[in-house]
Amino acid sequence: MIIRWICDNCNKKWIYPVEKCIYCKGEIVKQKGTKLKVVGITKVTIPSPMHPIIPYNVLLLQDEFENRIPKKTMKDYRIGDVFIEEKAKTKDAVSVVKVKYDIYEAIKDIFSLLSINELVKDDKLLIKPSAVMAAYQYQAVATNPEVIDAVIRILFEMGIKEENIIVAEQAIIGNDSFDAASKSGILDVCKKNGVRFVDIAKGAFEQVKIDGFKFNIFKDALDRKVINVPIMKTNSQIGLSGAMENLIRFADENTQRNMFLNGIDTTLPKFAMAFKDILTIADASVGMQGQGPLTLGEPAFLNFLLGSRNVANLDTVFCEVTMLQVPPYVQSESNSGVKKIEVVGNELDALKFQIKPPVPGDTAHPDIKVIDGKACPACFNRMFSITSKLVGLRGNQLNIVMGPMLTNDMLKGHDRIVLFGDCAISKSTELGTKPMAKISERLDEIEQLVLFKKLLTSASETAITPVDKVRSKMKNFLHNVTR
Amino acid sequence: MYIKGVGMTKFGVQTCTSQELVYEAALEALEDADFKIEDIDVIVSSTVDTSSNGERQRGFSSILSSILKKKVPSITVSAVCGGGGAALWTANRLDYNNVLVIGGEKLLSNNTTIITDEILMAAERIYEQTEGLIFPAQNALIAQQYMLKYGATTDDLDLVAYKNHKNAYLNPKARFYKKEVTLKQIKKSPVIASPLRLFDCSLSVNGAAAAILTKDETDVEIAGSSLFVDRLSAFESEDMVSWEATKLAAEESYNQAGITPQDIDVAELHDAFTPVELISYEDLGFCKKGEGKELIRKGVTNLDGKLPVNTSGGLKAKGHPICVTGISQIYELVKQMRNEAGERQVSNVKCALAQNIGGAGSTVTVHILKKV
Repeated sequence: MIIRWICDNCNKKWIYPVEKCIYCKGEIVKQKGTKLKVVGITKVTIPSPMHPIIPYNVLLLQDEFENRIPKKTMKDYRIGDVFIEEKAKTKDAVSVVKVKYDIYEAIKDIFSLLSINELVKDDKLLIKPSAVMAAYQYQAVATNPEVIDAVIRILFEMGIKEENIIVAEQAIIGNDSFDAASKSGILDVCKKNGVRFVDIAKGAFEQVKIDGFKFNIFKDALDRKVINVPIMKTNSQIGLSGAMENLIRFADENTQRNMFLNGIDTTLPKFAMAFKDILTIADASVGMQGQGPLTLGEPAFLNFLLGSRNVANLDTVFCEVTMLQVPPYVQSESNSGVKKIEVVGNELDALKFQIKPPVPGDTAHPDIKVIDGKACPACFNRMFSITSKLVGLRGNQLNIVMGPMLTNDMLKGHDRIVLFGDCAISKSTELGTKPMAKISERLDEIEQLVLFKKLLTSASETAITPVDKVRSKMKNFLHNVTR
Repeated sequence: MYIKGVGMTKFGVQTCTSQELVYEAALEALEDADFKIEDIDVIVSSTVDTSSNGERQRGFSSILSSILKKKVPSITVSAVCGGGGAALWTANRLDYNNVLVIGGEKLLSNNTTIITDEILMAAERIYEQTEGLIFPAQNALIAQQYMLKYGATTDDLDLVAYKNHKNAYLNPKARFYKKEVTLKQIKKSPVIASPLRLFDCSLSVNGAAAAILTKDETDVEIAGSSLFVDRLSAFESEDMVSWEATKLAAEESYNQAGITPQDIDVAELHDAFTPVELISYEDLGFCKKGEGKELIRKGVTNLDGKLPVNTSGGLKAKGHPICVTGISQIYELVKQMRNEAGERQVSNVKCALAQNIGGAGSTVTVHILKKV
């Protein structure tokens, strides 16, 4: 489809969305060309960072109004060929649609390509964005509020009433959901549309048993039809925060901790089974690359949206396009592999370019590494927060060991081990590990910071002394008094 | 205004800094004008501010102030590949006695993929960059439309490249100076974006160029100076193979100079890609629409033709250091008008034209110089 914005009065035409004609102040209407034919083609043989796979073709497409756009493809066409966007033939297909300045039309395109017909007028719906912590939209931590707005608008157009729609999210442990929704702009979108924002953390939960695992799941998520609207982000702990990971925060805090305790690669796919066939509209208009939102992650200007009824397939396709490793928790579900997933809207090879992958074990501090035994998000976030604050203070390498899923193999060959969090302390006792120090997750962050600073700058295998503990408590006290 | 002096570095792969490049060009222009730096009242500059060359510094006007030791009004004009022409156009409208117009680029100091991406930033992001429409691909689609519409062939494009390489062979400041390129080499060069081959594309180079404009009469007058800006993307135009901004700028400049296209003795055109030169022949009125191919086939624009075009070697073979190009065109035309062009001298040049383009026909300047 080619979209142009045209003045209803004087017929001036724009390739950009404008709201009012700057010439005659007339109203703007969209002109949508759908009958596309190939009027030009070039085969490109030199790579560029956004287009590393060569050769590729760029078509010049023209619609019935003689509007033109370029279109990248790996397929061969001839001038005069008709260009058709095929609709999905399978239920688990993934559609990938580029945003041409109009998120609403891109989502409409996804609905059309996937032939979404399972949503009806009297449905009660839950929209699940991703807003894990308070951050502005441009930081790419939360779902773009324009995506949420467009989804709500499309639901309204289907006749679904505002009182039957809620937007629900739970920030990661230790963060406030309303703060996250507010700063990202999602709360404003809810207010604008008269739709309620609900903090999942405060909601009613219902226990669901799947394959021997017990999950306490937000009741509304079980009672309503869910539209999952994550932002696609890299994640240094589990590889990817995407469609499947976004579901975790339907669980209560204890369930989330237990899911990590029992191995997130196993528990998350089981958990996701409670939400079979939900529709996901994933926001990769601006995704995130690098270490993820907690440390040194940065926006990735990807400019596309994905849609699917299968969260694992969607995540797999995203990883393929951005050349990320498919995380183990996704691999176990997407058993068909990317080659067997039906992709519509755009060709995978035509979209591919590498974004910065997360590097497991890296922190913001060059001298501090993490050995992660699947720590829960609360401890993991705290660790990133502390190590970020120590950047600039060079010292001796520390290996922070975390999580309950530690093994001797993981620790083999590492010295200067600091156990962080009660899970790691307990597990290492079982393994007979001899750490340099143990730092409890129950200490205040300032105390933890002071202790880490001591360890980082200490050349010897010094343990934390009682004096250090007193010092850290005094520092914490002074910090609180100053505040 | 008039042109008092010109200067430029050799275009190439120098490893010196941007500051050294602009210093060399400014010094030559001052010496050519028999000026001291103290005589300069204002500086108008242009640079693309590349972020990939490792210098990592912006604020070109301040950099010029540091290197030239000048505390005068100084502005930097941005119009991607049309920056040099835009700087000249701006300078020509300032109410100062003596203006230094200068451009400098250090483009080549990273791998080709990164430089390709850097240049791609001059294209529209959502419709073009994300669809892989690097500049050779844009111009390939334009060339194809041109060929379909007017029956031109790749042989015509080859002739443009061949002509400009022959001219660059004679130009000591050109990247391809004394480097012979045969028609066979051009025809056999690898395809970059079909139908365009490697030798249809201009050369990314480092370099700087400067011109000193003055109100006092000299031997070269800027008789026409126009700048027009059109859409960003070529596919937006109703006619992709006729660039409105060139036609508007040419018409205005001819009117200012009181001449017609037939009065032009020599021209420097923006041959970023060979089809652009053919399209420009037509948009500048050197021939009717669709007849550009005839000019190159008949040798009209050859060095010994009736209207020599790109005697310097053009962007094709002299080189294209983005924002420097528009000023380097003026350098060449002044040399031609003063009979200082050496082996590539065209006889009896009285009226010359420079066309500089930013993007695929987006920002176009046309300058007409007259011998006084």
